[in-house]
Amino acid sequence: MYRFLKKGRVVFSIIFLLLITSSFIFFINRETLLMSEFLKFQFVPSMLGIFSGGAIVFILLLVLTILFGRAYCSTLCPLGTYQDIVSRTASVFKSKKNRRFSYDKPFNKLRFGILLIVGVLFVGGISLPLAFLDPYSNWGKISNEIISRSEQYIHNGLAAVMPDAVFFRSYAHFAIGSFLFALFFLITVTLLSAFKGRLYCNTICPVGSFLGLLSRFAIFKPVIDKETCTKCRLCVINCKSQCIDLETQTVDESRCVACLNCTVVCKTNSIVYKYTLNRKKEAIDIKDETTKLRSEGRRNALIAMGLMGTALAAKAINAGPVISSRPKVTGIAPPGAMSIEHLKKNCTACHACVAACPNNIIQPATTEYGIDGILLPVLNFKHHFCSYECNVCSQVCPNDALKPLTVKDKQLAQIGQTQFYLEKCIVHTDGTDCGACDEHCPTKAITMVPYGDSGLFIPNLEPELCIGCGACEYICPAVPEKAMVIHALEVHQIAAEPTLDKQEKVKVDDFGF
Amino acid sequence: MERRNFLKTAILGGIAGAVQLKGNGLMAAEKMTVSSANDLVAVMGGEPAEMYKKGIEAMGGMTRFVKKGNKVVVKPNIGWDKRPEFAANTNPDLVAAIVKDCLAAGASEVTVFDHTCDEWQASYRNSGIEAAAKAAGAKVAFAHDEKYYRNVQLPKGSRLKEAKIHESILDCDVWINVPVLKNHGGARMTIAMKNFMGIVWDRRFWHSNDLQQCIADCSTFSKMPVLNIVDAYRIMTQNGPKGKSIEDVQTPKAIFMSTDIVAVDTAAVRFFAQFRSDMKLEDVSHIGIGEKMNIGTTDIDKLKVERIRIG
Repeated sequence: MYRFLKKGRVVFSIIFLLLITSSFIFFINRETLLMSEFLKFQFVPSMLGIFSGGAIVFILLLVLTILFGRAYCSTLCPLGTYQDIVSRTASVFKSKKNRRFSYDKPFNKLRFGILLIVGVLFVGGISLPLAFLDPYSNWGKISNEIISRSEQYIHNGLAAVMPDAVFFRSYAHFAIGSFLFALFFLITVTLLSAFKGRLYCNTICPVGSFLGLLSRFAIFKPVIDKETCTKCRLCVINCKSQCIDLETQTVDESRCVACLNCTVVCKTNSIVYKYTLNRKKEAIDIKDETTKLRSEGRRNALIAMGLMGTALAAKAINAGPVISSRPKVTGIAPPGAMSIEHLKKNCTACHACVAACPNNIIQPATTEYGIDGILLPVLNFKHHFCSYECNVCSQVCPNDALKPLTVKDKQLAQIGQTQFYLEKCIVHTDGTDCGACDEHCPTKAITMVPYGDSGLFIPNLEPELCIGCGACEYICPAVPEKAMVIHALEVHQIAAEPTLDKQEKVKVDDFGF
Repeated sequence: MERRNFLKTAILGGIAGAVQLKGNGLMAAEKMTVSSANDLVAVMGGEPAEMYKKGIEAMGGMTRFVKKGNKVVVKPNIGWDKRPEFAANTNPDLVAAIVKDCLAAGASEVTVFDHTCDEWQASYRNSGIEAAAKAAGAKVAFAHDEKYYRNVQLPKGSRLKEAKIHESILDCDVWINVPVLKNHGGARMTIAMKNFMGIVWDRRFWHSNDLQQCIADCSTFSKMPVLNIVDAYRIMTQNGPKGKSIEDVQTPKAIFMSTDIVAVDTAAVRFFAQFRSDMKLEDVSHIGIGEKMNIGTTDIDKLKVERIRIG
């Protein structure tokens, strides 16, 4: 049975990894937003999106953990699956001896310390540390910066071979900071998993630590039958979590990712999942140290859950961040972000929106939002502008950092406000016709009105109609400074509905010449 | 001596006569088609394909412009991510009819493209032009990246002296310009001359270097379209060139054709003035500049114009 379960887990986890990754791939992403739905089956996104549809997934994931421990880490977590693949691949190149895992003591102070810091800051409304450590969000960054970028090179290679059939993909902005972070993270995790199995998951990952605490209460746990166990070490050798201690013949369920490898290799079927609710008394009989460890673990678990509860309560009452760097915000947040504050509290920089934007105008922030907003998605109108008919970024966000907007709502979502600098406008400086901004303005917040008696027309701006899409700023030909500039709004607003401008339908029978 | 001279003269004369004869024959044949063709054709009251058919007949048929084996480009306006009923882009049925006719005239291939303003894939798709052109047998070319453009000198231009022009235009034998008739906040009107903004890469340069002059300058390009067909089936009379809503659109059901780009723009503006009496030909100054630069004539009353009404 375990053999079958394990195979199922492997197949499922690989499929899920591919589904998650594919939502960052240009072509799949362009054809369907279906793949983005799978992003919602991730722990951190479902937690952040708990009040907007994430609750069901969040509760399911908690129930799954209460039932079987950290099964999430071996099935749904893309970074977990990636590490398993690396560790499996690495073993092929290792000597038989080096291939073997051994038991390691847990780094409790480190892992719970990280969890505590991430948790406390998260409660305080700062999701940045979570953004840097959450396995899903980092897999997102890796998919976007490295996998998707590689895909782009392959694509453009094909475009060179078949120029009529395959279009050239203009290069997306290269955000060096974000790329280096993703690369650093990928290398770190690859090395850790190549040499130490699931070390990242069991010492650094805050999701792993949290689920680990929860899994102490799991109803079904892997248990070693001391009567039949021959201490042959086969299970230890195959445990990538390095959590099976044969001295005490116990499995550290807080680090076990329920990969089932031990149950498959055990020749005597001595390590099996057991219903453990009525076995608590027995546990007390074990060594003092273990008991201490357990009660400590339980205390940690309570603290963690307290933190989580507080965080969710804070989210429910929409409390502001306790501290926040407050430089002048210059970053324009994507539509649906509601406010810079909402974005900072809910975005873990998975870059699903960055990958999905058809115009490539969403990019990882550097300092636009201040230091606590680094890598969060920010709009840049240098190479394009926000399409009036598009709402893709708000649809793919799994975190609720960008609220899903209908196209109609998005067309009224004011993410920034244009300011017109007359003294830089071509019509004013050169005395010639231009109107590039008016041409591109989708809401007609910009119209051309007579300019003096020169016969020229100059832009006229009605700010309440402006949604901050950046079309005017993008196309404005004035150099070195544009005459139309979008200024960020800390809190997004709703723009006035564009006027209908009804006109009489004229019937003509003549050509006019 | 005399005999030799006589023979010489006779032979030369014979050759000359033969050549002359042949030349006359050619000239006569040419004249026959040309004389029946009009300078400007205006059609009103039908569906796009139907109006196109009548119009091109009056222009002397597509075989006048497209020869067997020609590589042809049909260049509509696909500037915006808007559906056909918003009149922001050229009518897809008209594009399809032209493509089919080019192929029927023996074109070896027909390419359709535009350098869009909105995101190109959405514009190609939602304008209906990509699907219509492909169904009619055309190839739809990419134009969203600078790599599809090559630098060309425009020696006759006064402000725009060089431009990066799309490779399809540079590599084809003939091209047909198919704009849609719209008002325009910057250039006042966008018709055939203004449609050249979709064959170049850098449009910002035009805007910052006297837009009206640059529009005229680009029409000094040595490889001009062999035919301009203005789509006025639906026209945008306000909030152009992108438009806000269906309210901006009128449906006069007309098309205009001419080999003279200035003439066809003049005709279109005069037609448009019936909907917007405030639109004066002088205000659309790139047309006047075009005439001064000998690109064409605004004096369409002197041209041979055929007006066709359907239904």
